[in-house]
Amino acid sequence: MANAEHFANIMVERFISAVEGGVDLVPVVADSTSTAKIAPFIKAFPDRLVNVGIAEQALVGTAAGLALGGKVAVTCNAAPFLISRANEQVKVDVCYNNTNVKLFGLNSGASYGPLASTHHSIDDISVMRGFGNIEVYAPASPIQCRQIIDYAINKQGPVYIRMDGKELPELFSDDYQFVPGKVDVLSEGDDVLLIGMGSAMHEVVDAAALLRDQGVSPQVLCISSIRPCDINQLVKNLVTAKSVITVEEHNVNGGIGALVCEVIAEFGTGNRIRRLGISDGGYAMAGDRKSMRAHHGFDANGIAKTALEMVKEN
Amino acid sequence: MNPYRLSTDELVKKATDIRKRIVVLNSESPAGGHTGADLSQVEIVTSLYFRILNCAPDRLDDPERDVYIQSKGHAAGGYYCCLAEAGYFPTDWLPTYQHADSKLPGHPVKHKTPGVELNTGALGHGLPVAVGLALAAKKSGSKRKIYVLTGDGELAEGSNWEAALVAAHYGLDNLIIINDKNKLQLAGFTKDIMKTDPLDEKWKAFGMQVTQCEGNNVESVVSTLESLQQEGKPHVVIANTIKGAGISFIQGRPEWHHRVPKGEEVSLALKELSHG
Repeated sequence: MANAEHFANIMVERFISAVEGGVDLVPVVADSTSTAKIAPFIKAFPDRLVNVGIAEQALVGTAAGLALGGKVAVTCNAAPFLISRANEQVKVDVCYNNTNVKLFGLNSGASYGPLASTHHSIDDISVMRGFGNIEVYAPASPIQCRQIIDYAINKQGPVYIRMDGKELPELFSDDYQFVPGKVDVLSEGDDVLLIGMGSAMHEVVDAAALLRDQGVSPQVLCISSIRPCDINQLVKNLVTAKSVITVEEHNVNGGIGALVCEVIAEFGTGNRIRRLGISDGGYAMAGDRKSMRAHHGFDANGIAKTALEMVKEN
Repeated sequence: MNPYRLSTDELVKKATDIRKRIVVLNSESPAGGHTGADLSQVEIVTSLYFRILNCAPDRLDDPERDVYIQSKGHAAGGYYCCLAEAGYFPTDWLPTYQHADSKLPGHPVKHKTPGVELNTGALGHGLPVAVGLALAAKKSGSKRKIYVLTGDGELAEGSNWEAALVAAHYGLDNLIIINDKNKLQLAGFTKDIMKTDPLDEKWKAFGMQVTQCEGNNVESVVSTLESLQQEGKPHVVIANTIKGAGISFIQGRPEWHHRVPKGEEVSLALKELSHG
């Protein structure tokens, strides 16, 4: 497995590669050059980046205009400010106008940990799922992140990519192939179905190892492609599953927990489900990631504990 | 090159034709309209589409064409009447304004209506997007110009002033911001709701080149727009207009923000317009 990598570094690497490959890509930042770790891009292409200052509405509106002017516009700033401050610009200028803008929600979820809830985005997937016309991805590993970014840059139309803010190790083998919509199967098992998204996928994988140590066999799925999402594939996994647990560094409302519940209900697969994440009506605890996830019950131990409870009830 | 290049006299006549269409379009709308805002902008959009803009119905894919953005999207009815007169779509679409699944919805939608460059209606969106278009043109070495029409009440939206900072910072002298300063908004007089004056000084303080014109006088509008020089600063043209301009019982009256002419009002309005 490859070493852990920071997704922002991968993003900048892919931007440089795209421009070198002839793509007329223009990154737009809102004073967020360090957040985006974009210095190597500026060094390679000194006149290409647009910095609008600390002004998220201008960030997204300007990006939409750049896209209408023929550029591949990519916004790079902290996810909470992108999603909340520029919400109507995302809805109208990007989604409704179907502009060729790629929105990178950096340091998403509770990546900013102790900086507290102004800096957390635990609502971005629910917001984006409410908007029309935009594809939504949440990469969980470096190889997946790389391929999603390359796909997004070359895809005509709006894309949101939920980018974690910590270095994350690899989850997939070198021959991994990202396919829009596909739900990735990380391991097979019969006792409980664990489904994760983004950085929380690593807790799921660790939880699966803990469960195997205790003789429980989990199936592990990763949803990185939230829109499109291959619902039929999800149904196939659900019909053979007993209990289901979803895990995300996101509010349990509107994220992948909600998505899986919708599929269970609409297709009548009848699974019992527990949604782990930030619970209804709450905010993510301010603090380091390990403590925060333990507090909310979606660290590896918390997931395993919930899984064991559900397996006992099977 | 503009395909029409109308003279001042011809523009005056065209503006009257468009006004008549606005009266009829709004009277036939099943969902009301924004008659006052439609009428205040007539000389501005007429001058742009029939004299100024380097754009034509058969050049909507031309990356060198000038772009006009209707940021005051609630004046879609007036915008449609101008676009139809200019040949962007058939005039017989106009009676479908705001009907179910019409190609002419209550606010501009570019994938429904040929000629519309941006979906607007939520205020304060046109200028930031226009800034992006002007930046893209600069970066591509294009000579195209980007025009954006805002209301004056709309300028309370903070996004305009974020975008103004960006426009001035990047020296976007290919950007022309026109304020349709009709001095009225939904709830009353702009000076009472949220005053924008001294508007010229505000724009100047933001780094803009500011010019004022009589916004319901085509000669004043055209001479102002044709005299703008590209000298490193974005342009603001404050077009002093009258809301509801051209029809005596509509102009300057706040209640006509969202009212449409009905019954005898239609014939009275058309009669006034026919007799100048």
